[in-house]
Amino acid sequence: MPSKNTFARRTPTDIALHVWGILVFVYLFVPIAVIIAYSFNNGKVLANFRGFGLHAYISGINNDIIVSSIVTSLQAAVGTAIVSTIFGTLGGVALARARRGAWWALGLTAILGLTLVTPEIVDGISFLPWFVTVGVDWGITPLNNGLVRLIISHAMFSMAIVTFIVRARLAGMDTQLEDAAADLGATPWNRFKDITLPIAAPGILAGALMSFTVSLDNTILSSFVQQPGYTPWPVYIFSAVRVALRPEVAAMSTVMFVLTLAALGFVGFVLRKAGGNATEIIKTMAG
Amino acid sequence: MSTQTRPKQPRSKRPATKFFGPAAMSFPTWAYALFFFIIPLALIVFYSFGYKPDQFTAIATDHLSFDRYPEAMSASFVSTFFATLRISLLGTLLCLLIALPFAYWLAIKVAPARRSLALALVMVPFWTNFLVRTLGWQIMLSPDGFLSNWMQSLGLLDGPLDILYTRTAVQIGVVYNYLPLMILPLFVAIDASGKKLREASYDLGAGKVKTFLRVTLPMAMPGVVSGCLLVFIPLNGDYVTATVLGGASGSMVGQLIANQFNTAQNWAVGAAMAMILIISTLVVVGVGFALLKLGQTITARLNSVPLHDGRA
Repeated sequence: MPSKNTFARRTPTDIALHVWGILVFVYLFVPIAVIIAYSFNNGKVLANFRGFGLHAYISGINNDIIVSSIVTSLQAAVGTAIVSTIFGTLGGVALARARRGAWWALGLTAILGLTLVTPEIVDGISFLPWFVTVGVDWGITPLNNGLVRLIISHAMFSMAIVTFIVRARLAGMDTQLEDAAADLGATPWNRFKDITLPIAAPGILAGALMSFTVSLDNTILSSFVQQPGYTPWPVYIFSAVRVALRPEVAAMSTVMFVLTLAALGFVGFVLRKAGGNATEIIKTMAG
Repeated sequence: MSTQTRPKQPRSKRPATKFFGPAAMSFPTWAYALFFFIIPLALIVFYSFGYKPDQFTAIATDHLSFDRYPEAMSASFVSTFFATLRISLLGTLLCLLIALPFAYWLAIKVAPARRSLALALVMVPFWTNFLVRTLGWQIMLSPDGFLSNWMQSLGLLDGPLDILYTRTAVQIGVVYNYLPLMILPLFVAIDASGKKLREASYDLGAGKVKTFLRVTLPMAMPGVVSGCLLVFIPLNGDYVTATVLGGASGSMVGQLIANQFNTAQNWAVGAAMAMILIISTLVVVGVGFALLKLGQTITARLNSVPLHDGRA
């Protein structure tokens, strides 16, 4: 490693920055490392380490309530990713192609911006009476399904993220390609499918990923809209916090952590094959 | 639209084009936002003027008044409210102070070949569950946890670590949970500020500190603003971190609102509390923007070079 040489040229500020950078990384990773370490706790209480072993993993996988809450979370996350990607892509393309100052574009930007700055607790309490009104009083029964409620509320939350990512992605591209395709006789649908969508694809993928994680992570909103039988994983943990935390929570979280990393690695690999670069992808996601 | 239509635009003639036009395309998103955001939110605003008629009914709106607002602002609510504001403002500031050197290091000092990996590593905590990360802190800070034992055996502490279920623990937890949201926009902004401007600044004789203060930091300002918004707004409504790490003594406003809806079943007061939270969040953000504008105007005044007869 050439680190010896580079350090020789570095000023005290540089060294201080390096130390700071490494300290921040340690800060970011220590709690995750603690959770992974404590998932091998054979004791009954999570925070009390009593011997190393895989007991927590075995009893976690055999616990029906835990498994069903993880399944609910994953279903809700996939559903949210699909719904918010469809609506967000449409919104993002529309906003990127809007005339300057069109009222519907300004209005949509303002509303979606508002969804991002509304505290999650407020979203939660406003969904609760609304689902009761629409689902029970008006008799639109699909809205009484716990999974549908989770997906709709999570997608509302992440739709704005997808819209803004897709808009940012398309803003850099002018309409010449689409005009050229139109001149060559492509139908609007073909233009959308063959030109706009492929250009927006990295943004759409990044948005879908963001929606998926935002949904998987969501606790406050979910705890308001959840229905019996459809308790998502974070809400399960949150209720366990108040009673007693068992090592199973850490074990199952570790499993999900490893799976998420594997999925991310796979997506990163696909994007790299497609000619993307990690820095660009993350920049796209950060907006 | 009869005489005002532009007949020379061949594209708007075909109905298919109209169907795929941007305004029509935005319709589903509009409808979704209207039906699942605007209307429910309007309902909450409406509820905040209602009242709780009896023990078994959560809300009634047959006569409306502002009475729920003073009722919501009880002494315990006000003290929790200011405690929350303190935690969120201090948390945002700490995130900024930690993230600024870090993002600078990431964008400028880390070799480009390793930057992608470093960025991906910053994202990893973001991809792990918020609540689970907070539990990691709970284990670490607990009085009979390993950190407490180590510090005692090293002689750093006389008794067990006494942080868990205090405001300090909540503060550590929120800074930790929201730090990635500050790092990413700062990184993007500093990265976009570009090497060329900094080099130009060095060539013109500015030192490192001067270059940072006069070139890099002003260029990074949009990142600072969006980072602060991304941290402050959700943090102000968060109560999960406070419940896990703060226990009874570290409750935040979000918890009080949730209690009104879940336990007390008094939607009117809960809605009024939520309105107070939203309005105060907007006020703080507004004040922040005003201070920023003022600061920028003052520094621009101080830094400007007055021209006399075409000479500086």
